[in-house]
Amino acid sequence: MKRVVSVSLGASSGDFTRNMVLNGSSIEVSRVGCNGDMELAAATIEKLDGNVDAIGLGGIDIYLRVGGEQYIIGDGLRLAQHATVSPVVDGSGLKETLERTTVKTMLRNGDVHPGSKVLMVSALDRFGMAEALVDAGCDCKFGDLIFNMKIDYPLTTLDELKDLARKYRSRLLTVPFRMLYPTGSAQNERAGDTKYAHYFHEADIVAGDRHLILRHMPQEMHGKIILTNTTRPETVTELKSAGVRTLVTTTPDLDGVSGGTNLMEAAVVALTEKPLADITREDYVEWCERLSWQGEKHVLN
Amino acid sequence: MSTNEELSHSLRTFADDCNGNEKLRVMNRDWNRIIHIHADDTQADYTLTSNDGTVVYSEGAPPTCDLRVSATCEILTQVFYGEVSPNEPYNEGTLRVDGSEDDVLRLDFITAMLWEE
Repeated sequence: MKRVVSVSLGASSGDFTRNMVLNGSSIEVSRVGCNGDMELAAATIEKLDGNVDAIGLGGIDIYLRVGGEQYIIGDGLRLAQHATVSPVVDGSGLKETLERTTVKTMLRNGDVHPGSKVLMVSALDRFGMAEALVDAGCDCKFGDLIFNMKIDYPLTTLDELKDLARKYRSRLLTVPFRMLYPTGSAQNERAGDTKYAHYFHEADIVAGDRHLILRHMPQEMHGKIILTNTTRPETVTELKSAGVRTLVTTTPDLDGVSGGTNLMEAAVVALTEKPLADITREDYVEWCERLSWQGEKHVLN
Repeated sequence: MSTNEELSHSLRTFADDCNGNEKLRVMNRDWNRIIHIHADDTQADYTLTSNDGTVVYSEGAPPTCDLRVSATCEILTQVFYGEVSPNEPYNEGTLRVDGSEDDVLRLDFITAMLWEE
């Protein structure tokens, strides 16, 4: 049996282990949350190294892939380097594939249309989704500066995003990741202020990272469409209570759990049995089709 | 070896660069902070005040501050002229920035937006 593990900086309360059959192969997938503790995450990776077929890194990226460039997140790379035998992935390869496809499906279904007002809470970590939304003709506001850096300045073009990534690239190597993105218990905190509520109110669609959306969204989200990644039952309940009309997830439900793209990518890496460096974007597309992995739409209200 | 005059000039240049960057002015319109610059070797003190998106330079230490930036006159001059990324001396421990994490992050962000290609 193949075995893949997601080592996450998120809370351990979301941990799970499932045995599943993917493309005829038995595979054990599990998640180990490290509650934002980088040292624990590093130790966990070291312990798993060589004993599992692939490791996913959750709650942190190793790379930002923006406009054809790849920028390193220092903390993410340093964590990944604690494994020397098992491949470590952050889900960015699969995320790119799944999120573009999901936006295209939304366009076909009429959930997205030219002129849709979109608030994407952060786009540098999912540039593929940002590009797909812009290509669909959406009127986008990208909240990377607002929600990651507390700078009240929405970016509105892909070029601005590319410019930000390029200028900030050396800082990405050294700035502690927790200063840019909530880790551990901070993921469950709610900002509780109304400073940025108007960005949510103005949008038809709120897209991007689940933690950032939940952290900053106002209590009233009546009629909105949410496009986000991994979604757990408690998240669905929270969004439903806020009045969200439709939830579109970029990843499918896997046997009752929402594994996250890092875990799914680790599973693909294990199944392909190819060296990580040889796995292409086309491979991810092919495997997503083979496994029928696609986004899901949930009508909540 | 930089002099106090050169440091003073670099700080004025930094303030001018900030004020001449329309995007930065908008980004910083709600970042009202007092920044104390202290040269450890020459004991010179300066103040940069960010208010409503405008940065104002003045000589001397402020009565209170939100951020305190200290290093040798030489390093401070290089940093505020944009000749050296603050990251470098900061990581080496030769540049100290005392303040809240958010403010330290913001000041570093400003320098990245001004000078990084």
